[in-house]
Parts: sequence; C-alpha cells; structure tokens
Amino acid sequence: MVRRFTRRNFLGFAGLAAAAPLFDVKPLRGIDFVLQNSPTPHKYLIETMPGGAALFDYNNDGLLDIFLVNGGKISGALHVPENFDRANPRYWNRLYRQNRDGSFTDVTEGAGLARAGNGNYGMGVAVGDYDNDGYPDLYVTSYGKNILYHNNGDGTFTDVTAKAGVAGGGWSVSAGFFDYDNDGHLDLFVTRYMEWDADHNKICGGDWHTYCPPAEFPATTCLLYRNRGDGTFEDVSERSGITAKKGRALGVAFADYDGDGFTDIFVSNDGMQQYLFHNNGDGTFKECALESGVALTSDGKGLSGMGTVFQDYDNDGRPDVIVTVLPRELYGLYHNDGSGAFSYESLEAGLGALTSGSSGWGIGLEDFDDDGWKDLFVAQSHVLDNVQQIDASLRYKELPLLALNHNGRFERADSGVATPLAARGAAFGDINNDGRMDVLITTLGGPPVLLLNRGGSHHWLSISLRGTRSNRDGYGALVRVNGQTRVATSAGSYVCANDKRLHFGLGSAEKAAVEILWPSGAKQILKDVRADQFLEVREPEG
Amino acid sequence: MIHLILYAVLAGQAATSDQAADHIRAGLEARKQHQVDVEIAEFRKATELDSGLADAFVNLGAAYMEKHDYGSATAPLKRALELSPDLPVAHQFLGYALLAQGYAAEAIPHLERVGAQDALGIAQIETGQLSQAVANFNAALAQRPNDADLLYYLGHASGLLSKGAIDTLIAAHPDSARAHQALAENYFVLRQMPQAEREYQEALRLRPELPGLHLELGQVYANSAQWPKAEAEFREEGKLRPGNAEAAYRLGTALLQQGKATEALAELKRANELKADMPETLYSLGKAASLSGDAQTAEKVWMRVIELEQGGSLAAQAHFGLAGVYRKQGKAQQAQHEMQEFQRLQSTIGPPRSE
Repeated sequence: MVRRFTRRNFLGFAGLAAAAPLFDVKPLRGIDFVLQNSPTPHKYLIETMPGGAALFDYNNDGLLDIFLVNGGKISGALHVPENFDRANPRYWNRLYRQNRDGSFTDVTEGAGLARAGNGNYGMGVAVGDYDNDGYPDLYVTSYGKNILYHNNGDGTFTDVTAKAGVAGGGWSVSAGFFDYDNDGHLDLFVTRYMEWDADHNKICGGDWHTYCPPAEFPATTCLLYRNRGDGTFEDVSERSGITAKKGRALGVAFADYDGDGFTDIFVSNDGMQQYLFHNNGDGTFKECALESGVALTSDGKGLSGMGTVFQDYDNDGRPDVIVTVLPRELYGLYHNDGSGAFSYESLEAGLGALTSGSSGWGIGLEDFDDDGWKDLFVAQSHVLDNVQQIDASLRYKELPLLALNHNGRFERADSGVATPLAARGAAFGDINNDGRMDVLITTLGGPPVLLLNRGGSHHWLSISLRGTRSNRDGYGALVRVNGQTRVATSAGSYVCANDKRLHFGLGSAEKAAVEILWPSGAKQILKDVRADQFLEVREPEG
Repeated sequence: MIHLILYAVLAGQAATSDQAADHIRAGLEARKQHQVDVEIAEFRKATELDSGLADAFVNLGAAYMEKHDYGSATAPLKRALELSPDLPVAHQFLGYALLAQGYAAEAIPHLERVGAQDALGIAQIETGQLSQAVANFNAALAQRPNDADLLYYLGHASGLLSKGAIDTLIAAHPDSARAHQALAENYFVLRQMPQAEREYQEALRLRPELPGLHLELGQVYANSAQWPKAEAEFREEGKLRPGNAEAAYRLGTALLQQGKATEALAELKRANELKADMPETLYSLGKAASLSGDAQTAEKVWMRVIELEQGGSLAAQAHFGLAGVYRKQGKAQQAQHEMQEFQRLQSTIGPPRSE
C-alpha cells in the first residue's frame, strides 16, 4: 500500500509531533472500581495476573459499557480450598452502564453480576452473543471456576454456567468466543496457565522473595467448548486435539491465518514456545507453531508470552501475530508470509528499540490516528512488584507503549500517560462514539485508566456486523476496507474483551470500499460507503 | 583442601629397635587393612619404645593425617623433623597439617622445601602473597591441566590480586579516569546501570581518548535497552579504534537491535574481517543478512557457525535461522531438515536461554 502523507507526518515536519499526545487521560466519572489483587508476602502467583475488562454494549443503547473483573481477598496464608471473600462488595466484579453524558453508573447488583463465588479469584472476561439473541453475553474466567452470564436483554444477567457446562476449573486466564466449526454458534476457548494451588505455592528470588517463574509449576491444557446451539456447550478439548499440547497459556487470539475458511487459534504461552492451533475444518486442530515459524524468536528461544493480537499490521491482507513478553526479550512480531508460514520480524518492525526493556500485557493493533495503518498499544508493567530491587535497570510500573505504524514500521509516540502504571489489561473501543479508538487500561491495586483519543482530521469508518447465517456477532469475518483488513473478534489483548465494532481509519478518503467475507462463506461488497459513520452490515441471508 | 598422598616410601623405612620395628611393621600392616586406629596405636607404641625413630614419628603423623586429625599429626611430624631435618615427607605432611589448621605462614617453608605448589599457592593466598600464589597455581596447572581445584584457586588468587590493584588505584588516584572506570565496571557487574553510566561519563570527561571506555559505556546502554545511545558509544569506540573487532561487533548488534539491517550487515562484515570466524559475530552477521534479504550470505555464515560450533547452542540457533530462511524460500524439505537438527540439538543441550 502506498504510504500516505498523514497528519503526524505533517506535525513531524513542523517539529511539533513530540508535543502532541494522542490521548487525554480522563477520569472515569461514576467508576469507583479498584482492582483488588491483594498482594501478600507469600507471593501467590495469582496476585500479579488479573484484571480483565470488557468494552461492550450490554443494553444495546449504542453506548459502550464497562465490565471490570476483580481479583479477590488474600489476607494471609491461603489453604486449599481457598476463599477469596467474593461475597464482599469490595471484591465484586463490576458492571458500569454508560450514560448519555459520558458518565457511568454502577449497575452490578441490579444486573445480577454481584459476587463471583468465594473460591474464585477473578482473571479475565470474554464477550459474545453465544445464543444469537442480539444481546452480548459474558464469560468470566478465574482461578477457581469460570462463570457464563447470559444476557437476558432486560438489563440483567443470569448465571447459566452449570446448565451450559463451561465452569472449567484450575487457573483460567484469557478466553474468547469464536465459531470454529462455522455452524453459526459461538464456541468458547479458554487459556489455562499452570497447575497451581495455594498448598503448592513456591517463593523464588532468594532473599528478595519474588513471584516464581512459570517453569517452577507444571504446565496444563487449554479448554475448548463447542456450542451445541441449545444453550449448552460440549467440552471438546480432548477430541479436538487441543489437550494434545500442555502449555502455560495466558493470551489467546483468533484468525484464519491461511485463508482456508476456518478460524485458527493463537495461544501465547509464558516462558516457552507459543502455540498455533490450525483448524483442520473437521472439528480438530493441529498445533503447528514450530513448523509455521510462530513458536520461538528468530534465535530459536522461547518467549514469556503474555498478551497477543492476531491482526494484519502491514496491510498485506493477512493476519499477523504480536506477542507481549518480559524485558530482555522483544515483543514477538510474526509476519504472515502466506502459505501458512510466518517470519519473526520484530526487528524489522522497529520493536527492538521499542520493547526490549519493557514487560507487556494487554495489546491492541488499532488505527489510533486514522491514517490507514494499525498502530500498536501495549499496557506495560513488570510481573515482579519488587523487580527494581533485583535489577535496578528495570521498573515495576511502566508507561504504556504507543507506537504509530508508518508503513509497517512502528515508532514511539506520546500516549499522554505521564505516570507509570502497574498495568495489566487493555481493552480497545470507541467509548465516546467520536470515531476514534480509545483505550481502557486496568491496573493492579488501582482504578482503571481511560485514554480518550483526541482525534484529528482523518476520516474513519466503524462497522458492526450482524450475522444471519454466520454467528450473529460476525466473529471470524474478514473485513477489508480501502486496502486494510480486520478480523472480526472481540478477543485478543490480555484477559480483556474489546469493542466488537470494526474500526478503520480512512486518512483523507471520504469514501470506502468494503468487502466482507463472512464465516458462512458469503462474500459481501459495499461500494462508495460514506466515511465518518457507524455502519451496521447485515449478512445476506440468501 | 587438595588431597593428600601417602607415599609408599614410608613402608620401606628401616627400624633400629626390634620391638619398635615390630610395631612399625604392625602399623604398616594395619594401614594396608585400612585400620587407622590400629595403625595409630602401633606407631605410637613404636615412638614410645624408641623416641629417636624419625620413621615412627612420620608414620604416626601420617596416620593422623589419614584420619584428618591435623592437630594430633603436627607434634609427631615436628618431632620427626627434629630427628631428621631433611625428611621431605615430614615437611610435606607438616606443611599440609599446618595449612589445614590455618597456620599458613608456618606451613609455607615446609611446602616450599618440597615444592608442593598447589598447597603453597593456597598458603600464599592466605598470607597475601598473591603474585606468588598465581605463579604457583600456574605452575601446578602445567602439571595437572584443567584440575578443578587448581583452576578455582587460580581464579580466586587472580581476582584478589586484581581487586588489590584496583583498591590501590582508587585509594591513590580517586579522581583519575581509571578510578572512575574501575568503579563503573563494578557497578556494571552489580547491574546498577545509572551509577555505572555516571562513572563512565566522568572517566570519559577526564580522558576522552582512553580506549575501551566508549565500548563499556555502550554496553551499559545496551544492557538498559537504550539502543540509540549504545550505538553512539560503539561508534565513538570505532573511531578511536577502527581495528577493534569487538567495537564493530557491538555496533553491528546495536544496529541490528534497532532494525537497521543494512548498516548492521556492513559493521558485522567488518567485524568478521578484523577477527575472522568468531561464532557470535558470524551468527549476528547471518541475522543481519537475513533481515536485509541477503539469504545467500545468511545461509553461508550460518553454515559456518554450525561447522565451528559443532553441536553448541549457537549451532542450534543457526539451524533454526536456516529453517526460517528455507521456509521463506519455499524450500519445505530443507526447512524441515534444519528444524529437525535444531530440535535434535535442543534435546541434547537444552533449550536456548531466554534473551
């Protein structure tokens, strides 16, 4: 794609770019949430791993609402079965409804989302309309049991976990809805981190007492649930081949990387090789990361994979993978070369200088400056809260990374965040419906941080998919707009669910050509679409 | 402590008193049977029957040494030397016994007398004669190359010697560039990068022409992932020492880290010309070539790494790199072969360490 002359380029020539942060850090009016991770001297590894966030419109009023996953109470030494005091309002997950004036109202209790089970220490959240009733449902992951909340369409939710059969167990982290068998019903994938419980905790770091590296604990398997279409799910983890590989999975993202019409799964594993589960199209998957070139760094080394995103960063039409990791590594960027092969291109993309000193969690590829190239945003913070004592060159709290995409190469930009954060999750969406992508960051022991995009003069287009033959959310659809490609999904990042609307920056273009390849196989083309609008596209039924 | 050797020559010493000789023989017999307590009792009786028998005292001392009872060994060995001042075995055992008890200065003349370089070196470390200790360990290593104990003590003595010199430097010339450099090096080892940076900058302010300072400061920046600053320092070092291969190599890797593949390739080629066939240089050269789209060079240098490293971790990484090159070229079979080689090496040497 020909590189455009963007607003940023102009500002760069004018010598003003450094002075213009892209976001305003805004207080979230009406949100009093504090992520209770409850750090203790026992250094339970769960303490440093939450907290999920979802940007979704639960009541279909056109405004994004916010769901925040809480950790739980750990006041001292834990013993199995652990109790995290989730009945205490301080440790509830919270749902905040957005009001017309941009403020939020806590509707948790009325919505039926209070409490989360005393044995559950909260981690992440996935969003998807699993029963195709037009209302987005919530799946909350935990160390303990996971919960599926059905959206009743009247502002309330019902815990349908037992009926649906998706409680899981162990230590679940990220999750995502996707339709792996293209039957029009959203299935569910859940990453699990490791075999761990409080009675088998370890403390590492000698005199410093730190959280242990993942290799200190046994690996485990992820979960795949097939949606039967009747409100229940079938655990097909084993039958599908997912359990053939044990890992230390934290992040998950979905895309059909080889264009065979079936959605594949990328799983970021901590401290080892990454996994790419190729969808064979017959209900089974084959893990093929190594032979596809997406398992290791270019030096053949494992990665401390945490968050991940599976979108096309270089506008060649093929979804690429980026994985966030710990310092002394580089965020792994795997370019999709076509024919099922990837190349490790972190250095070519500029991530060497940008990321080798940082720890990344939540990640998104979104076109924040609407120039037609997806930019990179990463919520950053070291996993060890006392890392600075061990290595003075590292910091626990970090500024997030905002890197603008210039023709496939990323360059640092000012996010507007001035205070380092203990950031974990990052959810992406257009919170104020101004046509610019915003970011919500979760922070350990702190409130969520909202980054509102200041905007600019570029044009944009936001597309909502409404599947008819495909799943109603249109997850898995490949949408092309003026040479850019996005995979429809709310999954990716780390423990978070993003705005499901597909955002495209159009630069100076006032019209767009839209092409949608639905999971059903239907292809839809829209010409001369007016820019700067929220467009709902319904899948042709015939 | 370096293990003791009991010399068979002891068994051949003659006795002058018949009864004492009987006990010596009984003691030697007990030694063969590894009955140390019997041995001690027999040799003690021999010394009681004939207090002028140097051999009996040496054997008694040796028996105590065998029991690691160095305190009890000392008196009979000293008595043996009173009776026979030139008895080498008595000097050796007494030297060891005294050293084992911490009397290093007293042990040294005895060890010198028999040329026990290993034990002498240890004694000299304890008495602060570090240069002599290093010389003795080197001499001992010439006889027993790769001996773990000797290598450890040589490293230890050299380190102490080095530390002593640096302490003297800092005390005598605290404001000198070298003193700041030495402090910076310490901070670097302790991973206290801001302090290391400050000291290197002060050293450079005082003596900007000093070789190595820019290189070391660049490594501080590289360690803190400040790649543009690292690049600048490596460039400065390269200006001062254009013939230094390490400066070129470090500059190449800093450029590589920033994705400046073409420049990195040129620097790494230069590094390889200055000092050919360094595996690390060749490996990075392959990466730079691959990044620049020069698959032919990448293939050539990685194959050379495999040849040089013969199953080491860099060879494994080179196989992995080659797999990527072939995969990109659509050579599936070759890619698969390289991946198999990578996995084979990984299974024998373990997975590569994280960066």
